[in-house]
Amino acid sequence: MSERVFSVILLPTSDCNVACDYCFEHKEPHRLSLVMLPLLTRRLLDHIENEHIEECEIYWQGGEAMIMGPAWFEKAGEIMDRAAAERGRRFVHYLQTNLIGYSPTWNGVIRGMFDGSLGTSMDYPNIHRKLFKGGAAAYTKLWSTRLREAKAAGIAVGVIAVLHKGSLEVGPERFYRYFTEELGLSDFQVNTPFPGGPAKEVAGGFQLDSSELAEFMIGLFDIWMAEGYESGVSVGPFDALIDHFTGKQARLPCIWKENCSNQFISVDAKGSVAQCDCWVTSYPEYFFGNMFREPDLTGMLKTSRARRDFVERPKRLVEDEDCLSCRYLSICHGGCPVRTYSALGTMMAKDPYCEVYKAVFACAEAHGGDILRARAAPIISLRERHKAADPCVVN
Amino acid sequence: MLGDPEAWTEAAHNDCHVPFDVVLSDPALEFSDLYRLVDVYAVRAIRVTIPAAPGLTKAIRLAAALRLPVRVLPGQPSPDVLKELHDALELYLHEPTVEAPVEFFHSLLATMCDGDADSLWMILEEDPDAFHYYVADGQTRVPRTGDSGGPEIASAGFVDNHLSRLIAQGAECATCPWQQPCRGYFKWPDPAYSCEGVKQLFFSIQTAGNEIRRDVASLEASDTGILSESGEVTR
Repeated sequence: MSERVFSVILLPTSDCNVACDYCFEHKEPHRLSLVMLPLLTRRLLDHIENEHIEECEIYWQGGEAMIMGPAWFEKAGEIMDRAAAERGRRFVHYLQTNLIGYSPTWNGVIRGMFDGSLGTSMDYPNIHRKLFKGGAAAYTKLWSTRLREAKAAGIAVGVIAVLHKGSLEVGPERFYRYFTEELGLSDFQVNTPFPGGPAKEVAGGFQLDSSELAEFMIGLFDIWMAEGYESGVSVGPFDALIDHFTGKQARLPCIWKENCSNQFISVDAKGSVAQCDCWVTSYPEYFFGNMFREPDLTGMLKTSRARRDFVERPKRLVEDEDCLSCRYLSICHGGCPVRTYSALGTMMAKDPYCEVYKAVFACAEAHGGDILRARAAPIISLRERHKAADPCVVN
Repeated sequence: MLGDPEAWTEAAHNDCHVPFDVVLSDPALEFSDLYRLVDVYAVRAIRVTIPAAPGLTKAIRLAAALRLPVRVLPGQPSPDVLKELHDALELYLHEPTVEAPVEFFHSLLATMCDGDADSLWMILEEDPDAFHYYVADGQTRVPRTGDSGGPEIASAGFVDNHLSRLIAQGAECATCPWQQPCRGYFKWPDPAYSCEGVKQLFFSIQTAGNEIRRDVASLEASDTGILSESGEVTR
């Protein structure tokens, strides 16, 4: 059996209960019905069987996933897990939600289906995530309440923050303290924004200056290393980079995979299949096919012309861009296709955040070196003491 | 086959664990196709064999970035290719992001660190006594004879005989400090090939090997002292 991981970003709805400025998704009221779920499950199991993969990760998100309600998830989990067990396979479920619809009625399904954890999103300062009524301030207040409630119920919460101009203005220290001290989080991740989908016009204003963004990221990295790294705070993607540069097995984010087309797909409520949630909600021209209309997912992925672009992209980048001469090629491979496509209108170019990534990689490499040296320091210090005490050694 | 994406898609779906040795014929043209091996490498062992030809460094760079083990077949490298070999050696020796072994550098370095000599013929799997390359009529052929006329049938003790012949003919091998690990590898098939450039390669590897050996010796010496200090071992 292969040790490869296959992940599906499953969008049971594209509908959403909030109105964020930079959302890249086409919001649609369509919802995945429990009647269609067995078919979708069968297609996924056929595919992972064809690929000799034992386990499939399902990342439930939206739209807003919680719109579906806890009872729906409970039933959906039951349907999928029973079908997988019958075929000697396994689904592992993860939930990404804006938390706005969270209430204690979710606790059972979160503990049972999602192993007691969930992922959510918040920015600092929050000026773009908004409720339909009440705007950003009301959103922050409600979200913070929901976060406290979820944590009080014993749910482990990881947070994704999208950086914007306001984040750069407040600076990395206040940003870090907001998440760790004000919110009391020990696990958050920073993402770079991209101008995708229907929000392209608005999100155009989210393009950040690379050098300012790099400076912010490095500042945040330094603060985390000084205050959080050894005290159990996890900040993505810095933690994975530190693992990499200290010789540990690292699970780097999808934007830096050799080829993200090998690792996952996204499926929306109508059965549309695309590379990831960003593509399935924003760029129908890059759909691979439809799970409900085509009987063979493996065949669809093999023959899709749209998917071929993803498969060929890293190859094209080492031929046409300067990626091959970059010393960080092994942990970047040209970056994220959707960030590139949304900024440049083609994915056959390297990620526009290339310079930011390089700065972050160099910072991670330096910190990784410090950690390794610090680990070796007690031995070196003993050796030095020994040398000093040994009359035969001439210093 | 590297240019055939379908073949590699199939190979990645196959649950058979037979390892692959993927041989590039033109690294300058084919290097980027190495990305096609990413899925396959997840399900079976792969080694990439690269002839010493233009584009060699590009192929090694990408293979290293994909953590694929590499075997470089240097043959009798031209001056341009020698330059690429030097660049590739520099990458292998000093770039911390290179994790997978790059042969023949890797085994030669090990040889020069611990003094346990293995020859290039063995390292590169070209010693006919140990590795048999069959031609159409079922006889074994000496590697690298295809380009210089008809195949030469391998006889027992080929490498020893080859080296003895070179020394008898007054070739530079007689006084070469790297005779043991090389054993006339670079004088085949053309015994008149000048080894000036490849000696520089050996020198660089030897220098790195000496550094490692010195570091290890100093580490061992101080470790003995440290252990003695803590009372676990007495000198």
